[in-house]
Amino acid sequence: MEKIHTTCVYCGCGCGLYLHVEDGQVVGASPSPAHPVARGRLCVKGWLAHDFVHHPDRLKTPQIKRGERQVRASWEDALSLTAERLNEIKEESGPDALAVLTSAKGTNEENYLLMKLARAALKTNNVDHVARLCHAPSVAGLGASLGSGAMTNSIKSLLSADAILVTGSNTTEQHPLVAAHILEAQSRGATLIVADPRKTQIAQLADIHLEPCLGSDVAWTNGILNLIIERGLADEDFIRDRTEGFSVLRESILKYTPEVVERISGISPEDLEKAAVAFGEAPRAAVVYAMGTTQHSNGTDNVLALANLILATGNVGREGTGICPLRGHQNVQGACDMGALPTVYSGYQKVEDPGAREKMATAWVTDLPSTPGLTAVEMMEAAEVGRIRGIYISGENPMMSYPDRDQVKRALESLEFLAVAEIFPTETTALADVVFPVASFAEKDGTFTSTERRVQRVRQAVTPPGEARSEWEVAADLMKRLGIEADYTSPKEVMAEIARLTPPYGGISYQRLGISGLHWPCPDPDHPGTDILHRESFPIGRAKFFPVEHLELEVDPEYPFLLTTGRSLFHFHTGTMTRRVHLLDREIPRPAVDINPEDAAALGVRRGQRVLVESREHSLEIEVDVTGVVPKGTVFIPFHFNEAPANLLTVQNLDPKSKIPDFKRTSVRIRRAD
Amino acid sequence: MTSTPALFLDHESLVPLIEELSKTLEVVAPVYAEGEPVFATWKGEALALDADNPLNSPVEFFLPQKEVLFKYVQYSGRYTFSEEPPKSRLILGMRPCDLQAIKVLDEIFGTELSDHPYTSKRKSTIIVAMNCTSPGKGCFCASMGSGPAAKEGYDLLLTDVGSGYLVESGSPAGMFVLRANSRHFEEASPEHLKEKERRLALAEEEIVKRRLALTPEQIREAIDETDWEEVERRCLRCGGCSLVCPVCHCFSVMDRGVPDGERLRCRDTCTLAGFSRMTSGANPRASLGERLRHWYLDKFVYIPEKTGMLGCVGCGRCSRVCLSDVDRWSILREAIE
Ligand code: SF4
Ligand code: SF4
Ligand code: SF4
Repeated sequence: MEKIHTTCVYCGCGCGLYLHVEDGQVVGASPSPAHPVARGRLCVKGWLAHDFVHHPDRLKTPQIKRGERQVRASWEDALSLTAERLNEIKEESGPDALAVLTSAKGTNEENYLLMKLARAALKTNNVDHVARLCHAPSVAGLGASLGSGAMTNSIKSLLSADAILVTGSNTTEQHPLVAAHILEAQSRGATLIVADPRKTQIAQLADIHLEPCLGSDVAWTNGILNLIIERGLADEDFIRDRTEGFSVLRESILKYTPEVVERISGISPEDLEKAAVAFGEAPRAAVVYAMGTTQHSNGTDNVLALANLILATGNVGREGTGICPLRGHQNVQGACDMGALPTVYSGYQKVEDPGAREKMATAWVTDLPSTPGLTAVEMMEAAEVGRIRGIYISGENPMMSYPDRDQVKRALESLEFLAVAEIFPTETTALADVVFPVASFAEKDGTFTSTERRVQRVRQAVTPPGEARSEWEVAADLMKRLGIEADYTSPKEVMAEIARLTPPYGGISYQRLGISGLHWPCPDPDHPGTDILHRESFPIGRAKFFPVEHLELEVDPEYPFLLTTGRSLFHFHTGTMTRRVHLLDREIPRPAVDINPEDAAALGVRRGQRVLVESREHSLEIEVDVTGVVPKGTVFIPFHFNEAPANLLTVQNLDPKSKIPDFKRTSVRIRRAD
Repeated sequence: MTSTPALFLDHESLVPLIEELSKTLEVVAPVYAEGEPVFATWKGEALALDADNPLNSPVEFFLPQKEVLFKYVQYSGRYTFSEEPPKSRLILGMRPCDLQAIKVLDEIFGTELSDHPYTSKRKSTIIVAMNCTSPGKGCFCASMGSGPAAKEGYDLLLTDVGSGYLVESGSPAGMFVLRANSRHFEEASPEHLKEKERRLALAEEEIVKRRLALTPEQIREAIDETDWEEVERRCLRCGGCSLVCPVCHCFSVMDRGVPDGERLRCRDTCTLAGFSRMTSGANPRASLGERLRHWYLDKFVYIPEKTGMLGCVGCGRCSRVCLSDVDRWSILREAIE
């Protein structure tokens, strides 16, 4: 038996773990005591990270659609058909009729090559990935206010905070190892403030639990800041020396008095006051947030309001402070860093910047398109009307994870050519013209970048099943067929190219990563990495305050419930992997809608009965779970299950600033299904 | 149970010895994987015998996290089955706590209806145990009566006495290994034996001094007094406490693959609701608090009733992995003190 140290494939905590390998099979997993985040611990998904690897459902051979059926094909046929069809579409309709969706599950090397495939080979900036659906508002909001959209501090830094505000994050279930750090800080004396309409575990453990109604984040955040300033708890030196725009902000939040905030959010003035004092008086305070903050049609405003809060209290650039957007997928940070976004190359170098474009074009020995591409959801719209005709999807399942599943289906079906690289058959591979079987995290080398900007090694433990290959090999092969040089022999070589062209990754090499990895920015080979950003200055010089206003949302009496979506501890994303892990699947085998006991009584439904949840356009039949975790008037559906796809109901209400859809707030009505 | 006079092995002679042994057996030993000790097949790398007992117990070589019981192949309506024979192994450096865990498992899997996958691996494995002269921070084997000195159940037993290892054999298989490799050993002197006793007495004293654990009687009392709802509130549901425990042994069995495939057995844990949930959806241990209480009861009441031995060997691993950072034993202590 061998034990291979690698990085967990599920969430952005990026825990180090060992895969146990016997006779070429992964037979177990165990935590890594030396890993700085895991410290010998894992969540239940990590303990069972080995279980899906050899599942018989794994895709093992390439498939090509012939007529209505997908039939087995050779790699040669699948690759050349893909290159040919993409080329044809490009010739006929121009490069922007093509798009590439990469995966936050893939490695950095794979994301880099896929974005190179899109830009250098296909000549389009239409490249995006799932981050659009989780943290685009962080990139937009924090990018504008601080100059960088990433977590400012390390996970470990939370241990030295004196107050931690957690909002829009079901941390114990979604980022268990971050939660473990937060709770450890609390047991060392930090005050834990949690704002969440649901009574999640971390909310129940909080010292102060604020229960705002959905969509009122800007109001209560402004309200807290207003109180902090009023009490003289703002950090005036910091505001003077390192920020700009404070006076305008000050004016704009005066109206968020505790009474106004109570009317909008339902939070009592006493609770708001307690939270403001705890946060404002703490010598070191940190904000932790996740999708509950960003997945709104005003997600960017929510992020900006939180950024204002930490800036005005001077909680940036020191141990124990900072703002921490928690990344969902284990490599969503890396996929962004690698430029799997329509506007930037790796390292957030803008495609519109002629200097950056010139640099990449020279390195890649080709010419590059200059107009930014479409975002993921825009691609679907464009596909539906025939403006996009061919898409290459590597490891994503938009049929399940994107809002408005019907529209996504129409969009993908109207494509002339769809190629999908996946480890398991999904709702999306079912629609593909070509399916490539690819390697899972246990079967390839590479790096993942965790939510705290820690670049870490992924190490191959076993060979891929059947004829499956790594996504980086597929991307390189397609590039070659499309006339771009791509003779990489290993991911290590790809990382060398990344380091050469990506300033924050300049000092990253496999030799240096070891067990703990390195925090970017790490500009050169001698740089120790940066666990805390903005110590001395911001990349944009001074940080900026952006006044943001509460957005009054209309309530439709016909659809009196607010539906919010999310994940559970035992499953991950669209369930492609976790639903194939026996113990996890057994734990939550079926989807259910969480309904508050009072609402359930009023509707006359009991646990286990079936209801119809209806939005304006769609309806979904689903089992009921009655629980006090959700407040009255709000219902919750996890989106892991294809038998009750929650995103059938969510509307494509995009945030104008970051184009993220509103997954967290859809008006619905509910009735018994009998 | 030393049946031959004790021998002495130079520190330097250990590697040549296991090189010799690994010609005919798979030698499993604590080695460094990216800097941390883990039990893995030895391929000549530096041994981690001085490091703390690895976080994952060598019990996995008898009860893997996941194992193929057999493969099935269907051919024109008929099934044929194939099973892999167990590997001949030697596990070097198993600590007394893990050795005691195996003793408990032998009782559970080896008697009455013998469990073939377990017992066949047991029979084909030679255990070279190692006494703990410098116990790890969280160890409380002494309170559970399982360490720091191994009493029985090994084929060979090593004790580091400073200048080398004192080697004792505890079974015919162990004696055979000694005889077949006699050129590596010298006769042990009375000083070596004295040094062993001295070192182990010190180790025991150190463990007892820490007062990490309660006595089994106190634990039973504490189980009734503990506020299990509070424990539930804090538990982050990782299942680690039971997945890492060398004595925990529950599993589930499933077939994967139609028409051909494998029958698998995987480690399971009673901390999950699905473990005790019945088909109707009713669950006799519906709350996590009840499940964690059950976990202690199993170790301190049910397993002792069945086997006459405690279901905890004091290895301290459950506290090391606990995600909610609840020291598993201080919860109980607080309840009664
Ligand atoms: S916390 Fe996240 S990274 Fe860590 S084991 Fe769990 S899923 Fe994996
Ligand atoms: S209960 Fe804990 S201390 Fe006892 S044997 Fe199991 S893991 Fe070790
Ligand atoms: S190890 Fe700790 S957190 Fe994990 S299940 Fe056990 S008690 Fe709960």
